[in-house]
Amino acid sequence: MKRALVFAVLVGVGATVWAGFGTAGDKTVRSASAKTAVTISNEQGTTWTCGFSPFNGDVNSLSFGPVYEELVFVNGLKSGAATKWLASGYKWSNGNKTLVFTIRSGVKWSDGKPFSADDVLFTYKLLKANPGLDLNADWAVLKSVSKSGNKVTFNFKTSAVPYFYYIAAQTPIVAKHIWSSIKNPVTYKDTHPVGTGPFKMSSCSPQVIKYSKNSGYWQKGLPHIDTIYYPAFTSNDPANQQLASGKAQWGSQFIPNIKAYYSSKSSDNHYWFPPLVNVNIFINLKNPILSNVAVRRAMAYAIDRGKVSRIGEYGYEPPSNQTGIVTPTFSSWLDKGLASKITYNPSKAISILQKAGFKKSSGVFHTKDGKPLSFRIINIGGYSDWVASVQVIQQQLKAVGIKITPENLSSTTFDSDAYNGKFELMYNGNESGGPAPYYELRQLLYSKNSAPIGKAASSNWERYYNPAVDKLIEQYGATTDSAKQHAIVTKLEAAMVNDVPVIPITEGVDWYQYNTRNLTGWVTQSNPYAKPAAYEIPDWGVLAMHLKAK
Amino acid sequence: MRFVLRRLAFFVVTLWAAVTLNFLIPRLMPGNAALAMMSRYKGRIQPQAMHAIEIAFGINTHQSLVHAYFTYLGNIVRGHFGISLTFFPDAVSHQVLQALPWTLGLVGATTILAFLLGTFIGLVSAWRRGGFLDGALPPIFVITSAFPYFWLALLAIWLFSIKLGWLPESGGYDVQTTVAWSWAFVGDVVRHSILPAATILITSIGGWILTMRNNTISVLAEDYVRMARAKGLSPWRIMWTYAGRNAILPNLAGFAMSLGFVVSGAILVEFVFNYPGVGWMFLQSVENQDYALMQALFLLLTVAVLLAILVADGATAVLDPRTRDRS
Repeated sequence: MKRALVFAVLVGVGATVWAGFGTAGDKTVRSASAKTAVTISNEQGTTWTCGFSPFNGDVNSLSFGPVYEELVFVNGLKSGAATKWLASGYKWSNGNKTLVFTIRSGVKWSDGKPFSADDVLFTYKLLKANPGLDLNADWAVLKSVSKSGNKVTFNFKTSAVPYFYYIAAQTPIVAKHIWSSIKNPVTYKDTHPVGTGPFKMSSCSPQVIKYSKNSGYWQKGLPHIDTIYYPAFTSNDPANQQLASGKAQWGSQFIPNIKAYYSSKSSDNHYWFPPLVNVNIFINLKNPILSNVAVRRAMAYAIDRGKVSRIGEYGYEPPSNQTGIVTPTFSSWLDKGLASKITYNPSKAISILQKAGFKKSSGVFHTKDGKPLSFRIINIGGYSDWVASVQVIQQQLKAVGIKITPENLSSTTFDSDAYNGKFELMYNGNESGGPAPYYELRQLLYSKNSAPIGKAASSNWERYYNPAVDKLIEQYGATTDSAKQHAIVTKLEAAMVNDVPVIPITEGVDWYQYNTRNLTGWVTQSNPYAKPAAYEIPDWGVLAMHLKAK
Repeated sequence: MRFVLRRLAFFVVTLWAAVTLNFLIPRLMPGNAALAMMSRYKGRIQPQAMHAIEIAFGINTHQSLVHAYFTYLGNIVRGHFGISLTFFPDAVSHQVLQALPWTLGLVGATTILAFLLGTFIGLVSAWRRGGFLDGALPPIFVITSAFPYFWLALLAIWLFSIKLGWLPESGGYDVQTTVAWSWAFVGDVVRHSILPAATILITSIGGWILTMRNNTISVLAEDYVRMARAKGLSPWRIMWTYAGRNAILPNLAGFAMSLGFVVSGAILVEFVFNYPGVGWMFLQSVENQDYALMQALFLLLTVAVLLAILVADGATAVLDPRTRDRS
């Protein structure tokens, strides 16, 4: 009795002390949160280095968009609809081997110096001289770049229509008067970035970056808000908590059970997860058993993608279809007939295996020479949603008589095994995708993206080789005609369905939560003017400048 | 004097061994930094670019092991730890120096506080054993020490910042506070440190209380304590200079060790509270195979522990005349 009393007193004293501190601080926080600011909550697992080099893959998402800009903005949610940005015009010629940009006049760098075609020419020459900066491998296809007056001309080695995206939309333009004096641009930190964008980086500490409005921005009347706060989060829970409490208004977070944890907290809390790229089972086509298309088709029929999505991904990532077209984002490219060819049908899976001469014994199908259909599937152990998804798939395949054993690896080992083809099956959604389905299909199917087992392949990890498909992929690169492009993509979809080189399972999404209490102008499902996650380059700068105080 | 000299020699030899192991161990680990870097670019980068980055990092430069070892020793003496892969292209020393004050402030202060408070409570409860204090505090804190840290921390966040809204739940300071040596900023930092500090204190204090209490009880049964009582010395003086001084000796080494380990941060604390210290930096460096950062952190840790032990040895020599007279 006595002890309980002492404990209660201690707790009481502690609580009073804490309460004193708490109330004092709470007031300052409320008065400071101005209406014309937005706070981002995006767990990146690291504190800020306060480096902003737009050519450093680790930090370019902190500067490319709000500070640095591109020649043409390409909207990945509207099949690559293009908006002229630092270029006021562009034109293909010479059999789509030459691309000429007219550079916009009247644009100023944030230090007040004028922007010109010289800066554009300098930027691409900088990438050529320093391959370590060329994140999109622009110079793998470029032959030369030249300038005359306000026009910059790009000459390509071959017809290069799809590379427009990387050259015009994914390469940030930097200032010649700053970058020309830098001795080693690869290790240049760029602590005070000078760009043409709507915001300036005004202060940075390891814990938070503050961006302020660029009042001399070339798009008149933009941006509307004055400040962006981008705090560093090293783990997910604090980042989610800031969103749920409304302290952060713009999230790019995975939130478990989002309805209970986030939407129900306030009617101002919204979310939208637009699908962008597939998460696939990659099948090693050099494996003697897996090279048999019957086995791959059987697996494609045996997996209930809807159930994987519901259980493994909380339903946030919708189920894929075998054509590899991500819907609804790219629905206009989808051939519905092809998409409905392979759907969940376990008895069909069994009959395919039986017809192909496999025999079932003790619950598992065996080849004619007695080898079981038993495979290892590698996965990233740190991605708990993928781990759960593979467990669901494991049970579904077991039901038809195919055994898979998950191996959860660290991401470094996983990547190394993926590149070098050291796997039987692999669960992977790390393709970079692009503004149209072609980009992902090219990454998955083009034989030039592959390599022999033991050598690093850049994206065709399953080692698919089909000369007819290669030809289709190259033909697409030579045409700007939308009807022809659609016809080619339909044929690529057919290859996906007939050859089953990979099995798309769910559709990876952009994580996006937003709060409408004080701000409007957000990207919504009905107005998808940019990819909405706060890590999308350069899209998040476009979103930020369209935000407006209510 | 000889005792101190012997300790110093021991310190130097251990330090050399630690530095050398620190050089060797990362090189024995599987995987390489170039691959870790490549995976961060999602396979979009050209082979030539990889080569350029490898050169920038000093990976795959065909240097003999012996040569690399002496370059490494020279760099350590000058405080050059190279470029971090995790915080590319920042220097390792810069990153560590930025994170260290947060860890030292939070974990260092709470470790010292826990030791002082725990020792005091242990001593007093042993002195008045069976009394009111002895009946209440040691059992409570022994129970709280057994709580899993993350559970207690999450509970504290849930109660004090989400339900009651008294204290901030994460970070070292509020994102909208201007960083400056002003009262507003210092106050903000203190406010953000209360929850992590309190939870560390609650979970770590029990150990000190228990060992100090038990040590004191056995010391109290010694003849020299009875002698002191017989001489009629004041209880206060007996408690401090007879019982306390002897009972604290075994705890000193433990305290020194835990002080040394302060620089390794507290991974769980920093994770749960999103606190910007060096604990998660350790984790990051291992995950990214960031050898440069790993080496700097491990070196810092070993040197800190060795130094702390050296200081503890010195303190033991002062408190306990027997160690001085032995030789």
